[in-house]
Amino acid sequence: MRQRVAITGVAVVDERTPDVASWLADEAEARRLSRICQLTVAAGRRALADADLDAQGGLAVLVGTEFGDMVSTISFVDGYLSRGPGGLSALLFPHTVMNTMAATTAIAVSAKDLSLTLSALTVAGELAIARGAAAIRAGRVGACLAGGADEPAPLVMSALGEAGAAPELRAAGAGFVVLEALDGARARGARVLGEIVGAAWRAVPARPHRIGSTASSRAIAAALEEAGGHAAEVGRVYTSANGDGPREEWERALVDAALAPHRPPYQSPSVPAGRHSGLAAQSVASAASEAGDRLALVHAVARGGNQVAIVVRSASRAGATALIP
Amino acid sequence: MKPVAITGLGVVSPFGAGVKAYWEGLSGGVCAIRPITLIDTEGFRCRIAAEVPRPIAGSARRSRADRLALAAAREALDDAGVDRGDREDAAVIVGAVGGGMLEAEAWHWRRMRGSAEPVPRPLASSFPSAHADVIGSTLGLAGPRETVVTACSSGAASLAMATDLISDGVVPLALAGGVDALTRICFMGFNALRLLDPAPCRPFDRDRRGMSIGEGAAFVVLEDGARARARGARVYAELVGYGMTGDAFHVTSPHPEGEGMARAMRIALREAGVAAASVGYANAHGTATPQNDRIEARAMRDVFGEGGLLVSSTKSMIGHTMAAAGTLEAVATVLALVSELVPPTAQLETPDPEIPFDCVPRAAREAAVEFAISNSFGFGGQNVTLLFKRAG
Repeated sequence: MRQRVAITGVAVVDERTPDVASWLADEAEARRLSRICQLTVAAGRRALADADLDAQGGLAVLVGTEFGDMVSTISFVDGYLSRGPGGLSALLFPHTVMNTMAATTAIAVSAKDLSLTLSALTVAGELAIARGAAAIRAGRVGACLAGGADEPAPLVMSALGEAGAAPELRAAGAGFVVLEALDGARARGARVLGEIVGAAWRAVPARPHRIGSTASSRAIAAALEEAGGHAAEVGRVYTSANGDGPREEWERALVDAALAPHRPPYQSPSVPAGRHSGLAAQSVASAASEAGDRLALVHAVARGGNQVAIVVRSASRAGATALIP
Repeated sequence: MKPVAITGLGVVSPFGAGVKAYWEGLSGGVCAIRPITLIDTEGFRCRIAAEVPRPIAGSARRSRADRLALAAAREALDDAGVDRGDREDAAVIVGAVGGGMLEAEAWHWRRMRGSAEPVPRPLASSFPSAHADVIGSTLGLAGPRETVVTACSSGAASLAMATDLISDGVVPLALAGGVDALTRICFMGFNALRLLDPAPCRPFDRDRRGMSIGEGAAFVVLEDGARARARGARVYAELVGYGMTGDAFHVTSPHPEGEGMARAMRIALREAGVAAASVGYANAHGTATPQNDRIEARAMRDVFGEGGLLVSSTKSMIGHTMAAAGTLEAVATVLALVSELVPPTAQLETPDPEIPFDCVPRAAREAAVEFAISNSFGFGGQNVTLLFKRAG
């Protein structure tokens, strides 16, 4: 049976968050974790606390990321380059694999269901949330932490710039929403922030690292169809603005075309502070709290054509008002 | 879970390009683990790996990993007879870890040693997600596009995720698989962890001393079963169940009792409604580290009981190909069902008495098996079991 997907918790942390350390178990955990893993673990614990949920009933973790822990990866490599084989750190090596943030978060919160790291340019956090929602809708998992994490490494950013990549506003941070089957959330008396009523991801024709020449896309229509809604019901759009002007123009064209002739207001949590994959959680949570009696669309598209659309309903429209304490 | 048909296979392995070369190598018990030529190994205890032999198809402007991936993906789509029209709705899901890191490392090495060489453009494609963009764009796959990183189980996870999309009715067809080229980081890291055997690895052997690494790519076409039959596609096997679990225990060590591994196997059986006794073959993760093989065997014993199940590790021939491993081994499992021949565990001379299974030493074994599993486990306690059923 298909499940309804409730949003019951959210947390986003970044370098400006004052109390990240207070969400780590102890100094030993802080020492063991790289900075991006600290941010991810802190965001995961805070989101679960916000949802008043633990992993006892089963919990999955889905983390979207653009680059993973490149800061640790570069440190690992530079250990060799400066001191030869003796300079290699066995402790740093696991952090060179992108799933390190999901793995350390799963360990920290004892999440033993599936754990997925999804790597994608620009859309990684939205993709992880869409995947998480699909897993709950299909009954494959009962609850999940879904979101993302990024930490721009200066060497990587400068190399990408030299290689001709588009300039982007980037920040370090992590964020999650807690998603649960609505029935399960109701049964435990959870506060419901809203509901993901549709999610879809598709590719728009475009060459790698390029924007496409078409404004025609399918993800938004597919997400609306799953939601049982239509373009006229969309009251707000949360985009993946990241300072890459041509890509942002393309995103607007894609959304405009999909929702035409309606023109709901656009906003993005990543401007002006910079974007990281965890901000997808903030977009979804904002959509849930601000949609009112309309639907809200969380949208992201990457150079290369990867596109994600998530349709969110606020708690009042989800018929869950009575559950809010 | 709704069974999903496997209708196309594509491989680039240390035996060369193509499924035929791969299966000939595996079924012949040939070890492709040799001295490394791609990277400098001076000063390291282990200096061998299973490299893909030259030539590798594709433009030299692409990363080695992109070329491996594209070649395997093309073969799988052609094998399945998927035409351009069918591709528009098809998903592409890639398991990847290293991306184009081999080339990025080379540039960084030179730059750190004083070279003023500008950053080559392909470096912008050095992240794992590049493969899916390159495959999707080049081969015209316009459905959902994903890159999954679950360390050494990534290739298996990609098949599970594709199965979800088909079972949920999101897409009728998916191309899923894994790819990794050899990288310095991987080679140096496993050396730093002292997990590499200086000689070709010996899974399940009493005297095993660690793993060998490798490289390659494999893709499969997965399809809604009814659709595949309707279009008259050849069905190699069905993916009837999978389990994906997390240990939540340690970033590099598996749970000492194999709890998460066993749970993944049980979930796969439960999803398929298949009894443990019906499974005749397990293509093990079988890395040949003392710890992994012992724990995996314990988990399999907990699920399947002692004996009965044939178990082999094809890593004994092609090494551990990282993100490609889960798909290369899934292909080996499917071909074992199709050909009624279980590939061997090469270099297995003295079976470990703690491994209570027939691990098919050195020579392939004829066996008509109806159900077979492929296990893949990764750093972070990322466990994936795929359960296949012989077509028919």
